[in-house]
Amino acid sequence: MKKIYSFEDKCLGCKLCEVYCKTARSKSKNIIKANKEENIDSAIIVEKTNKDTHFALQCRHCTDAKCIKACISGAIFKDEIGIVRYDKEKCVSCLSCVLVCPFGAVRKSDFNSTVTKCDLCFSTGKPLCVSNCPNDAIKFLDEKEIDDRMEIVK
Amino acid sequence: MKYLIIGNSAAGVNAIEAIRRLDQQNNITVISEENYQIYGRPLISYYLSGKIKYKNMFSYKEKDFYTKKKANLLLNTKVNSINTKIKKIYTNDNLSLEYDKLLLATGSLPFIPCIKGLKQHIDNKKDSNVFTFLTFEDSLRLKNKIKKTSKVVVLGAGLIGLKVVEGLSGQVDNITVIDLSDRIMASVLNEIEANMVKSHIEKCGDNVFFKLKTGISEVRNDTLLLSNNTVIDYDILIVSVGVKPNVELAKNAGLKIGKGIIVNNYLQTSNKDVYAAGDCIEYEDLFSNNKKLYALWTNATRQGELAGYNMSGIKMKYSRYFAINAISFFGMNLLSAGITTGKDIHNYIIESSINTFHMISILNNKLVGFVLINCPNKRAGIYTTLINDGIDISTLDYDITTMKNIKFSIYPKKNRTKKMWQGAA
Ligand SMILES: Cc1cc2nc3c(=O)[nH]c(=O)nc-3n(C[C@H](O)[C@H](O)[C@H](O)COP(=O)(O)OP(=O)(O)OC[C@H]3O[C@@H](n4cnc5c(N)ncnc54)[C@H](O)[C@@H]3O)c2cc1C
Repeated sequence: MKKIYSFEDKCLGCKLCEVYCKTARSKSKNIIKANKEENIDSAIIVEKTNKDTHFALQCRHCTDAKCIKACISGAIFKDEIGIVRYDKEKCVSCLSCVLVCPFGAVRKSDFNSTVTKCDLCFSTGKPLCVSNCPNDAIKFLDEKEIDDRMEIVK
Repeated sequence: MKYLIIGNSAAGVNAIEAIRRLDQQNNITVISEENYQIYGRPLISYYLSGKIKYKNMFSYKEKDFYTKKKANLLLNTKVNSINTKIKKIYTNDNLSLEYDKLLLATGSLPFIPCIKGLKQHIDNKKDSNVFTFLTFEDSLRLKNKIKKTSKVVVLGAGLIGLKVVEGLSGQVDNITVIDLSDRIMASVLNEIEANMVKSHIEKCGDNVFFKLKTGISEVRNDTLLLSNNTVIDYDILIVSVGVKPNVELAKNAGLKIGKGIIVNNYLQTSNKDVYAAGDCIEYEDLFSNNKKLYALWTNATRQGELAGYNMSGIKMKYSRYFAINAISFFGMNLLSAGITTGKDIHNYIIESSINTFHMISILNNKLVGFVLINCPNKRAGIYTTLINDGIDISTLDYDITTMKNIKFSIYPKKNRTKKMWQGAA
């Protein structure tokens, strides 16, 4: 399965991914409206490190996803592909998922009682954050491709 | 090979899923005393309030879950006994079934305190005005019984009792919560936090009153005699003083029982072909060498899954668990995990106001607990994981004892990249 991977050395911290994430998650799909008028949370988070560098982080779609185990209503589930998805209609806002996500990538919305998490733009199959990153700091890759690069961090 | 599962809730259903991941062939039968497909048990108070409608009660799994998983579901069927020698179970409607691997996922039962008159009022089930609150059936019956004019008394200010309060608020005349303890949710909250939550409930609830350090001495037809010798009227009494593991079946089958059913690291009971998972077992706590009981959905699902794997032949060890609570009352969120009191534990209050609270607890350079009240936007799961993994906090890139917003960049670069790329932290 393809996931979004972050390359810290390339990240500028420009937060364009956040801007495009909000756009992707908006009703209008319009970049200005999504960021200025509609109250949308970004599911991708740009973090600043203690060395003043940056990286982007979003749901890792864990194989053994703790959020799914914690969910009391079935609102968080894994689809056939392996994407960890969220159905706000089923959610009662208990925040059990927020309490267990090791990455802090399932977050309570800033605007309402739902939670926000990345769904890899499953409806289009093309995550907007990735296609709009100006420096290839996030990439949409197969697990295998990343496993090959694991050497770098070892 | 025949798998048999007793109990069709968090643990039982997650066991079905795990078994099917490894074994698509063999027979699975799951038996439930209740008459419903799986539902999120914690949702029953949301049904009471109306936030969740009947059809959405069953959203935990799709309708055809059992068909898809080729699991044979027997509803409204109670297992009366187990014969572990010939590996058979016997039900209330004279059915007997053989098994090769058996899972006990029998959950909890309401704890009924010894109070004069109480038992006979509860036993008189169908039209009684005394309730416990553990099943969807309880919620349906209670919802049917309440009237705009009802005076409700809730005995026990724990999670379930207070969830009932939230569920009933605005639908009845008034609610009085009685508890022997000096604070609400005494097993989860310290005094400061308990007072904060209590004030919030008093403020937002409709005619909700607390009588703490008080007990009920006698239950009569429409009055209660309290421990301070006053008598109060009631129309409906809800007994929610806690739950106890449902171990009768296991006990009668000769399995080893402590506080709950005793299991080993593979969730095997004292009989190697009988497994147990969820609220009915006792297990080792991360912070003490004592056996503990936790009635928690998350732990039940994880144990059910693990039991399923072990039953279908791969050995998977279970890690230790700790208390973990995500609770909300009238829009106030409480997120907490681990322990916050004990020898040598240092508490760091990072933020505190009239209605917010953010505290973390450190023991020997390790995070052992935290409490967040009304700080829903904090990335609390990062704390939970630090507790779970027993990370030495001096190895982190930030001093978490002064950090207002916990973030993933606390982990040093190599570490965090690895965790993110592997998709498991
Ligand atoms: C109102 C309420 C709110 C809650 N809120 C939360 C929350 O916010 N977060 C959280 O983590 N936890 C919460 N809990 C606790 C959580 O629901 C339990 O921890 C969880 O349901 C345990 O799952 P289980 O599978 O072990 O057993 P249970 O859910 O107790 O299910 C056991 C099943 O086994 C069946 N059974 C038992 N004996 C037999 C038999 N002999 N024959 C056939 N069937 C049998 C029972 O009928 C039952 O259906 C809440 C509980 C309640 C009641």
